[in-house]
This record gives sequence, C-alpha cells and structure tokens, in this order.
Amino acid sequence: MHTETDDDLVKRIASGDRLAMKVLFSRHQVHVYRFALRLVRDETMAEDVISDVFMDLWRQAGRFEARSSVSTWLLAITRNKAYSLLRKRREAGLDDGFAETIEDEADDPEIVLQKQDKGLAIRACLGKLTVEHREVIDLVYYHESSVEEAARIVGIPESTVKTRLFHARKKLGELLKSAGIDRGWP
Amino acid sequence: MTDTIANDPQRVAIEELLPFYANGRISAPDKVRVEKALADDPELVTRLEIIREDMAETALLNESLGAPSPRVLDRLMTQIEAEPQQTTLLMRARGGFLTWLGQLLAAQPPRRLAYASAAALALIAIQGAALTGFVLRGGGGGFQTASTSGAQASERYVLLSFKPEARAGDIAAFFKRYDAAVVDGPRANGYFKVRVGDASLTPAQVDAIAARMKNEGEIIGFVAPAP
Repeated sequence: MHTETDDDLVKRIASGDRLAMKVLFSRHQVHVYRFALRLVRDETMAEDVISDVFMDLWRQAGRFEARSSVSTWLLAITRNKAYSLLRKRREAGLDDGFAETIEDEADDPEIVLQKQDKGLAIRACLGKLTVEHREVIDLVYYHESSVEEAARIVGIPESTVKTRLFHARKKLGELLKSAGIDRGWP
Repeated sequence: MTDTIANDPQRVAIEELLPFYANGRISAPDKVRVEKALADDPELVTRLEIIREDMAETALLNESLGAPSPRVLDRLMTQIEAEPQQTTLLMRARGGFLTWLGQLLAAQPPRRLAYASAAALALIAIQGAALTGFVLRGGGGGFQTASTSGAQASERYVLLSFKPEARAGDIAAFFKRYDAAVVDGPRANGYFKVRVGDASLTPAQVDAIAARMKNEGEIIGFVAPAP
C-alpha cells in the first residue's frame, strides 16, 4: 500500500496544496499539541502554539531540506514557539515563571503514594520537573527522539542532551525518593 | 547506596546511552556496546529497568493529554486562506524566477542595466497578464472546513484514496462494510472525504476505523482521519 511520506506532503505543501496540509496536520497534530502542552501547561496556549507551528510550515515548506525528519522539524518549531510565548507572558508580567510554578492537576507524589499507586506517583513527579528537564524526558521517552534529533530540537550539543537527560532522570528519582519511593538510585 | 557507576567513565558513557537503548533510537555499534555491558553489570540493568518504568509512565501521562480541538484546523485553514497569493504554486514559481532575475541583474555592469530594466518591465507585463488569467479561471482555490459546512460538523470523516485497480464492486462492498459514504471528492490525487460515523465516535475510534481500512490494501491506497 502506498502511503505518502511526510517529505512528499511537504513538497506538495510548498506548492500550495491545502489538502496535503490537512493530511500532514492530521498526522502530526496530536504529538505537536502534547509536546506544546507539556511545555506551556495551558490548553489554549498549546492550541495557539500549534496554529503558529503549522502556519510556519505552510509559509516555509519550500525551505525544508530534509536534513531532519518532518517530525523533528515540527517539534523544533514547536519548542521555539512555546518558549517564545512563555517569554512574552513573563515580559508582559502575566506570570512569573508560569510553566515552572504552576501546579499540576495531579496529586502530590506523597498523596498519590498513600493511594498505593506507584505509576501515579511517577507521573506526579514527572509533572514537577523543570521545563528543561520535562522537554528532554518527553522527547526521548515519549516522542522517541534519538540523541541527534533531541539535540536538533532543543538546540544543544548531543553531549548536553545526554547529561541533561541524566540530570532529569536523577531529579525524578530524588523527587520519588522524597515521596517515599526508593528505587535504589539516586 | 553508593553510586559506583558515577566513578567509572566507561560505565557512565554506557549509562547515558540507556534511554536511547530503551527507546530503540540507538546506533547498531552503540547497541552492541550497551548489550555487552548489560550482560555483566546488574547495576546497569537496574538503571535500565528504572528507565523503562519511567518511559511507560511518561507515555501514559502524555496520552492522557488528549488532542487539540477541531477548531485549530479550522482556524489554521482560515489563516491560510487569508495569506497573500504568493503561497500558490504559480506565484512561487514566479517568485523563484524573479529572485533569479534580481541576482542576475545585480551582477551586471551599469550599461547593461538599461536592457535589464526593459526585461523586468516585460516580465511585470507578462506577470500581470498571467495573474489576470489565473484570477479569471478561479485559480485562487477555495477551502471549506467541515465545521463551516453546517450539518457536517456533527460527523466523523476519513480522507482516502482507492487503488487504481480497485473494482467498482469491491468499492461498493467496502462502503457497505463500513457503513460509510463519500461526502466530497474526488479531490486532488483522487482523494475522497468519507463519512465513517457521527460525532459520538471518539478520535481513537476514528483512528481505529482508519487503521482497519488501511489493512484493505487491495482496495485502499491511502487513508487518514480527517477533520
């Protein structure tokens, strides 16, 4: 069965094909949205981000050089848009480290632990990581990025991806430990 | 517990590869290195188990975030419609030519620029004539989203194309099997917009229907959920 590749769709988008745009959007909207939502932690803001991302894709499709996958390209644009939006909010005094300080809807890890659900406790702790740690965890653990792709998306060297991920994992372990779950490391 | 890995640079290097070993995005040589190390290092195995546990929970957390509302695509397509016309193929092609021409002119000595100006004027005249023809032919391209077409917003759709060799009888049977109906098409490249149910279907159910349709490789060329 022939399924058009993302690269083919981008070529069609570059020539003004709206249908190709819809197909590519349908294919990637959920991952892009979830990545944005984990960064900005606000559904309306995340939807604004993905609108901007795909609008950029529409305008810049002709410049796509296929040196990275379309998915990596989209996530990199998403990250830039999300950070830019967060920065604007901070500069406008609308929040003070909004994405950092906002509480997750999940219970505190301690409360979750009392409910005897280790998985929920881990998810609660994932929500308490800093935005830099969250993004690298999400990219590698959920979006299945390679070290090269994560480096391209975040805009840091590959070695930094590895060390940042290490520190994110370590922090996650510390948060769990302080919630009463000791997995032997750290 | 003492972290013995931290004191051994070779083990640290392997440890940092574990997340990529777990997500399957590791080079073949690194995979061999990791597997060799895991075979005699129980501490690394424990780290890998932790990573896999966190990976599963990260996936669950992300899956719980849902999907964007259909409004996003509507808004996007409205924005695209409002974009200047240079985003169309015809205008892009001309833009490329103009860029080339501009670079060519910039490289010419002043004496030749008089001829170049004449060429540019001629190009503008051609462009104007072609544009007029384009508009008169209605080539601007219209777009209507599901939500702007009234009653259709309460339905769920997929976009699909049939294999050229699919027979009419097979296609008819396909629509009967899925209780589906064409609501639009064929569009560019032979795509059809097909209704697969009403608004009670969740996006996951539409995904599942699309996946089942995708398996009908003898009839279906392409299929994806559509807004």
